[in-house]
Amino acid sequence: MSIDLLVQALLNGFGLAMVYVLVALGLTLIFSILEIINFAHGEFYMLGGYVTYYAYALFGLNYFATLGLAILTVGLAGVVAERLIFHDLRGKALNAFIVSLGLLWVMQAGAQLAFGVLDKPVPSAFSGIVRVLGLVISVERLVVTLSAIVLIVALYLFLRLSRPGRAMRAVAQDADAAALQGVNIEAVAALGFGVGCALAGGAGGLLAPVFAVSPAMGALPVVKAFIIIIVGGMGSLPGAVLGGLLLGGVEGLGALFMGSAAVNILGFLMVIAVLLVRPRGLVGGA
Amino acid sequence: MLELTDLRVHYGNVAAVDGVSVTVEEGEIVAIIGPNGAGKTSTLRALSGLVRASGGRVVFRGVDISRWRPHRIVALGLSHAPEGRRLFPQMTVIENLRMGAYRRRDGLAIERSLAEVLERFPRLAERRRQLAGTLSGGEQQMLTIGRALMSDPTMLVLDEPSFGLAPLIVREIRTIVESINRDRKVAVLLVEQNARMALAVAARAYVMETGRIVLSGPAAALRESPHVKAAYLGG
Ligand SMILES: Nc1ncnc2c1ncn2[C@@H]1O[C@H](COP(=O)(O)OP(=O)(O)OP(=O)(O)O)[C@@H](O)[C@H]1O
Ligand SMILES: [Mg+2]
Repeated sequence: MSIDLLVQALLNGFGLAMVYVLVALGLTLIFSILEIINFAHGEFYMLGGYVTYYAYALFGLNYFATLGLAILTVGLAGVVAERLIFHDLRGKALNAFIVSLGLLWVMQAGAQLAFGVLDKPVPSAFSGIVRVLGLVISVERLVVTLSAIVLIVALYLFLRLSRPGRAMRAVAQDADAAALQGVNIEAVAALGFGVGCALAGGAGGLLAPVFAVSPAMGALPVVKAFIIIIVGGMGSLPGAVLGGLLLGGVEGLGALFMGSAAVNILGFLMVIAVLLVRPRGLVGGA
Repeated sequence: MLELTDLRVHYGNVAAVDGVSVTVEEGEIVAIIGPNGAGKTSTLRALSGLVRASGGRVVFRGVDISRWRPHRIVALGLSHAPEGRRLFPQMTVIENLRMGAYRRRDGLAIERSLAEVLERFPRLAERRRQLAGTLSGGEQQMLTIGRALMSDPTMLVLDEPSFGLAPLIVREIRTIVESINRDRKVAVLLVEQNARMALAVAARAYVMETGRIVLSGPAAALRESPHVKAAYLGG
């Protein structure tokens, strides 16, 4: 087998994995600020897909405008969900588990009622391929992957440099201490939940033209996101990026040798392998 | 400046603070001493809004802040250095200090406060890029106090700053608390198990046991009280 083929396979894997990293970063951000796992996270991804579909189908917006709209709309939906449903559940993991499962069903059923059960195809905005150093890359995949990377970097800069980002890091490290420095915890929780959902919405928008949009589309990316999070280490943002790179590599290489159903199993095998060696994940701390 | 009236804190049905009244005047250092589980920390958490008091009133600078949330209370000038330091472990010394100024928007004045704090704590200045989680216990306590000063408070609340520190560091902390009070006219409410230290720095003190104030008065008088001598100063 040639080196080219291997590199090609790796690139294919990394491409999609970067989008799943976005989903995982959203889950992780919400977990680190509210200490809860939002099991309806995939439904915010789904919402991003539908926003993209309708923005294109009804208004004919271009790819990046629909993406921006998906991020904003789903982010706003996240803030509303936090205020209405999750604001009293900070640190109450079990209650949040039940409530977010309920939200998952409501959002899926709602999507079926509102949008129908059939897949909605979103046409590719980009066609063709580019050849770099003998590698063949589809322009669409390239745009999707680069957009995901831009969003990851944007999140990093937001958390590092902005005032609300700083507040989020402080709350994640010690919520009481952050409150004593003057951080409005409730506002940060709502904003953090919104940003987390916006990342899922952006991922849904990015992949809408790659896969079709449907009420159940959120399940797969959330499974991938959980694999990434567990491998990388719960609550760690760098861990999520590392977990995503690993998952992408494993799945990309796996696709050379087996069918897609079998490839999906590789992720779980990787989880088991990592947990055997490092039970807290690769970057997991205390 | 600060007036707690008949303050109560309940956890479930259990009263941790059972009708506590404490006052601190402008520029004064006041201590609360008492054994483990007396309710000292709960009292402080209630006055800075981290737990909701189940009864009583907290008045600070003439404003009833009993139902306020913590971020507004800091903005009013009350700064709380909590029990157990509670730094942001993944942030550097400087980042922790800057978090202390989170409510402030006056960039130049923040830089001035930062310079002032680093001057007051030369050991923090040496370690400005070190992660707070890797500091020694004494350095962490200094950072906790330094961070609390960064909000430019009129009143400082300190919960067991001497906990787990060697006598030499305890003396240093004591000197720092006195100098903060003297130079910046900051009132201090000091909670301590180290009664000797607390009664040496404070002008007045309260003795708290099982959720109530059992004794109070000038620190000098409390040092002579048979009960305080027997229970807190080792006979
Ligand atoms: N979050 C909580 N939930 C339930 N009970 C609590 C909680 N926090 C404190 N308590 C209880 O309230 C009582 C007072 O605790 P508190 O921490 O205020 O005492 P303290 O005087 O600060 O003690 P120490 O000197 O050991 O720090 C204790 O009996 C404690 O077990
Ligand atoms: Mg205490």
